[in-house]
Amino acid sequence: MTSAAAPLIDRSLADRLAAIVGERRVLFRPSELLTYTSDGLPSYHKQPALAVFPGTRDEVIAVVRELAERHIPFVPRGAGTGLSGGALADGVVLIGLNRLTRILSVDAENGLAVVEPGVVNVSLSRAVVADGLHYAPDPSSQAACTIGGNVAENAGGPHCLKYGVTTNHIVALTVLLPDGRVVPLGNAAGENEGYDLVGAFVGSEGCFGIALDITVRLSRNPEAVRTLLADFMSLDAAARAVSAIVAAGIVPAALEMIDQATIRAVESSIYAAGYPTDAAAALLIELDGAAAGLEQDVATVESLCKEHGARTVRIARDEAERARLWQGRKKAFGAMGRVAPHLVVQDAVVPRTALPRVLAEIHAIGERHGVRVCNVFHAGDGNLHPNIPYNAADADETRRVHAAMSEIMRACVAAGGTITGEHGVGLDKVGYMDLIFSPDSLATMCALRDVFDPERRSNPGKVVPVHACREWHMAPSARAAV
Amino acid sequence: MTSVATDPVEALRERISEAAHGARPLRIVGRGTWLDAGRTVAARETITTLECTGIVDYVPDDLTLTARAGTTLEEIRSATTRHGQWLALDPFGGAQGSLGATLATNSAGPLAAAFGHPRDLTLGVAFVTGAGVLARGGGRVVKNVAGFDLTRLMIGAWGTLGVITEATMRLHARPDADVTISVPLEDTPDEIERVRRLLRRLPFAPFACEFVNAALAASLVGHAGAATVVRLGGNRESVRAQRAAFTELGTVNEADPALWDSLATIEPPKAMVVRLSRLPSEIARTWRDASSIASGCPGTLLHASAARGVVRCIVPDGDGVAALLRTRLAAMECTRIGERLPPALWDACGSASRDALSVGIRETFDPKRVLNPGIMGELA
Repeated sequence: MTSAAAPLIDRSLADRLAAIVGERRVLFRPSELLTYTSDGLPSYHKQPALAVFPGTRDEVIAVVRELAERHIPFVPRGAGTGLSGGALADGVVLIGLNRLTRILSVDAENGLAVVEPGVVNVSLSRAVVADGLHYAPDPSSQAACTIGGNVAENAGGPHCLKYGVTTNHIVALTVLLPDGRVVPLGNAAGENEGYDLVGAFVGSEGCFGIALDITVRLSRNPEAVRTLLADFMSLDAAARAVSAIVAAGIVPAALEMIDQATIRAVESSIYAAGYPTDAAAALLIELDGAAAGLEQDVATVESLCKEHGARTVRIARDEAERARLWQGRKKAFGAMGRVAPHLVVQDAVVPRTALPRVLAEIHAIGERHGVRVCNVFHAGDGNLHPNIPYNAADADETRRVHAAMSEIMRACVAAGGTITGEHGVGLDKVGYMDLIFSPDSLATMCALRDVFDPERRSNPGKVVPVHACREWHMAPSARAAV
Repeated sequence: MTSVATDPVEALRERISEAAHGARPLRIVGRGTWLDAGRTVAARETITTLECTGIVDYVPDDLTLTARAGTTLEEIRSATTRHGQWLALDPFGGAQGSLGATLATNSAGPLAAAFGHPRDLTLGVAFVTGAGVLARGGGRVVKNVAGFDLTRLMIGAWGTLGVITEATMRLHARPDADVTISVPLEDTPDEIERVRRLLRRLPFAPFACEFVNAALAASLVGHAGAATVVRLGGNRESVRAQRAAFTELGTVNEADPALWDSLATIEPPKAMVVRLSRLPSEIARTWRDASSIASGCPGTLLHASAARGVVRCIVPDGDGVAALLRTRLAAMECTRIGERLPPALWDACGSASRDALSVGIRETFDPKRVLNPGIMGELA
């Protein structure tokens, strides 16, 4: 119990919340809360004072209003698969939204669906497959992560290269503000006018409130799909092939890079995908769309890869082979579990043209700190995921891993990049925000948050460093007068 | 006090800061191409981004471009064309408008059907708030979730939250083939519904597809009756197949690609322009509503994106036309967004900026209400 708010969270609150959601849905014993002390990034542990799991929209509203009355901070949580420590509650109330799993409506004609926040990403696509539609953002955790969580994080995924990230697919929201007000944002039934409140809410990492329902745009399933695997004898050559493909005007549905360390981890695991283990890097490239013209793009991509030094280019012959190639990519993080008991997963973006240079730098940083960096990432948009398997029980190794990660982040920023492309800032990256934003920009972000949550009770301590928010209190009038 | 800064952004910041200090509202002006759009701004002084021009950073292989707000779309077009690339934005009004104004107004043309709105193409912005604070949102890379999304908030805010000084845009590579065709059709709600159904079924999305009424077809493609004008892009084989797919609608004619530039600038001086929208599946009904305006106002030009469910009405001014338009708009149950209207007509369109969150955001970013007060239809 580290938070100042902790004393407010007592038996009377637990009883009151139990009256709303039922006794079984309120947890406050440390043993029951253990599951909720981390998210998908196991290097952080924070203990909520209490966890509550409403089962209906009305219960969510009643819970939040009860907390508002008592001025108690809370953290909304979906499936807890996030990779930035964003869903951790430090001595405050955790609100689990994973029981709100209803797909409220599907309008196939207009390609729209309205879902509750706890709907699992992949189950929405499954529900609309008969209509020839799918929900495009596909984070690697899509079998478990929730759409509410995706909205909070503005989640991406391999296919976002062509189809865009979560924010490009959210049309409207009904939002529960931390003070208990319910407000509609956006316009699903026509053009949107006024401030882009939907755009502001998506990616606000739970700091602006809770999405009670989410209107998403569904995408048409492509008529044809081709998946290629090209392997290279150097990372540099693979990175140059990426630039060449994009520059040629072809927008692949996905363009992923997997380096040798990752290939070997995958190939020695149950997720073996048939990647060549002696290659320095492989590109997994997917092209989709109308059948007419697709083969021409496949041929162009194949020849561009070869021109840039690809040893072989393999084209999946059938759906089974395609699924196998993808399994290796999507389960790469899991496969790294064989290499060492713990894994730091990082997320940064650099301009595509900086990829060869930054990858070389990352390699050098790893060597210098004596750690093994495994790169598996969305090369098409320069979104790196350098991962380091390690043993957290080894204090010296842990220290070296964190030092290397910090240097890697700084190298990405120095190359003109950013500190997160899809995982969010959460707790993990809040210390890097000063690297890319000025104090004025951070203070402006705090001020925006204060419009949604003036008491700063929703997901406290995340996204923007606390010191930046303090500064805003002297601004803007004081600042303007200086 | 007068500004002494030589850096144009700093000069702008100082000017806004002074305006806030003295509570002197400013009208924000880009190239001035839309100043006669009729939006009421309660300000005597103007501030311009004309000094803030030029492309700051362009790495063709990254397909991103950063430019100052006063740069025209034409300048961006000419820089990117040399590298076989483009900024896929074709807002109405043409390419002489500035990037900053295009973003501030979230203006998009027919290409939005395939490439999205400015919000989807903008990676980062720098802006000066009404308190004279220079801030940035987003960045220069194509994927970024660091911090709250100030970029989307600034786009479409009509300058009321901050004056955009610079933006980084996502570019696209020009396709091998970019072909424009037209298909003559009857001017009926059934015909536009037929277009929508075809688009929904096709395995590709055209770059643009506009259903135009007879008055507009006459000037764009020079034949009698309504038409669908379509812009197809991709590799050659794909474009051939796309073209063939449209024969299902009727006779496919080649059309001059210059018609898209004509469409962007076709409105006569003093025309009233308004967009009606509903769900795409209701496009026939929305077209019928738009046609009811056209039938009472001679010379009205209509064009619609069936895929997006939007009809744009260009109504030439004339005796009693404004009053009639006002009555028709007020009676319609659909989203109505004004582009260019006489001051008295704005309240016949919806205003979406009076909700508590929008008001709170406005107060936070522009506490002294010095940036374009009144322009979003809010109480000045």
